[in-house]
Amino acid sequence: MSIPSGLLYSEQHEWIKLEGDVATVGISQHASEALGDLTFIDLPAVGKQLKQGDEACAIESCKAAASVYSPAGGKVVEVNEALANDPAILTNDCYGEGWIFKMKLDNAADLANLMDDKKYADLLGSL
Amino acid sequence: MSQKTLLHDLHVRLQARIVDFHGWLLPVQYEGIIAEHRCCRKAACLFDTSHMGQFLLTGPKAADDLAGLLTRDARKMRIGQCRLALLLNEQASILDDSILLRLAPEEFMLCVNAGPRHSDLEWISSRLSADTVIVDQTEKWGKIDFQGPMTYSILAPHVEDDLSSLRFYTGFRTRCMGKPAIITRSGYTGELGYEICASGDDLIQIAQTLLEHPDVKPAGLGARDLLRLEMGYNLSGQDIGEFVNPIEADMERLMCDTHEFVGSAALDEIKRHGASRRLVALTCDTRRKMSTHDQILHKGEVVGEVTSGAYSPSIEASIGLGYVKRGLWDEGTILTVRTQRADMDVTVASKPMYKNGTCRTNIQEAVK
Repeated sequence: MSIPSGLLYSEQHEWIKLEGDVATVGISQHASEALGDLTFIDLPAVGKQLKQGDEACAIESCKAAASVYSPAGGKVVEVNEALANDPAILTNDCYGEGWIFKMKLDNAADLANLMDDKKYADLLGSL
Repeated sequence: MSQKTLLHDLHVRLQARIVDFHGWLLPVQYEGIIAEHRCCRKAACLFDTSHMGQFLLTGPKAADDLAGLLTRDARKMRIGQCRLALLLNEQASILDDSILLRLAPEEFMLCVNAGPRHSDLEWISSRLSADTVIVDQTEKWGKIDFQGPMTYSILAPHVEDDLSSLRFYTGFRTRCMGKPAIITRSGYTGELGYEICASGDDLIQIAQTLLEHPDVKPAGLGARDLLRLEMGYNLSGQDIGEFVNPIEADMERLMCDTHEFVGSAALDEIKRHGASRRLVALTCDTRRKMSTHDQILHKGEVVGEVTSGAYSPSIEASIGLGYVKRGLWDEGTILTVRTQRADMDVTVASKPMYKNGTCRTNIQEAVK
């Protein structure tokens, strides 16, 4: 199970990476594998204002549907349009090409509530 | 406590993701639902369907008894013929759907669904003549569904009798890999395929040998559900059940004969008045999935409910089944499905939604 360092993780299995004042958000390999083959990613609207923990978008797979919660508060500034036509991009590279959206954070202090890779690995180990 | 099928250890060894399905532990997927679905449409897949009920009925009045209980007339069936038939109650509500095979003049095999198996057995047993014997062999014999366009060429060398003689919806008692087996040419995927019934260790050996073939993959309930939905086949307990009659379920024309059976009088009465709703196929050119219990609307008014939905990789569209009110079930009618997150426009479509299935392939022509 891949859990790259340098990213922060939420208990709902999202990851977030801050570069400057824009953060990129995706879901962890654990979440991707649990969902199985993805069929549809209902991307958020650009400009959508989110609080930490709000539902940002939804992912449908052959077996299930799951919500993606925003790991921090802020405004959606870009979405990964490539996922709309080919959700398998997320399955194949959930930490890279399979990012879901980028957001401008309201308050970087939100990130203090999240886990680093080691803590997230412990969480997965306890499941 | 969930029951294990005869093939349980094999699923564990193949690292299947296992779920409880009507009290049975069954694989939902091995490699992945889409890979297994594709393999079944292009090559061959093996499904464990040992959870399904297998009843053997014998006796001089077996055909008469079954004719009185099922919507197809067992008395008119030839030896080796299979029929899809419904089990109705007196009000013509659907208790279950089943496949009946005539093995001999006085011997039939009835295959029913896992959920209602025990109630089916009780319902049928209590309505048989004194000299008709019914045996539930579900736990001693298992069943695999071997489905896909390549199944004939893979299976034929292992079968003692001429497999090419089996046309769609026929079957025989034979030996497979030297073991006693009942094989029917039928399935739930729309592809050429066979259902193979055999007892305990024999079934394990048959399954293992077929899986050794490089073109065969094991497939789980996830792929099976997607394949059947693309064909517009109903799932017992979800699309059909005691909440509907065969006319509403759009199963009357194909699955009901005109003889007398439990529910036939009520069915005639319903036919006279016409159904108030009908199960239709729905498609939408999107990846967004419709789900069971999603409302169906027309001009802002609720006119029905979705019973099954999925994204179809074969059609590359969102597909589903659902009940809609009279007047709205004609092909081409545009309706709205209210999913949890958005409304989507769907079109009433013809069945099957996937039109390239190989289930009716003429094998004897194909192997010439």
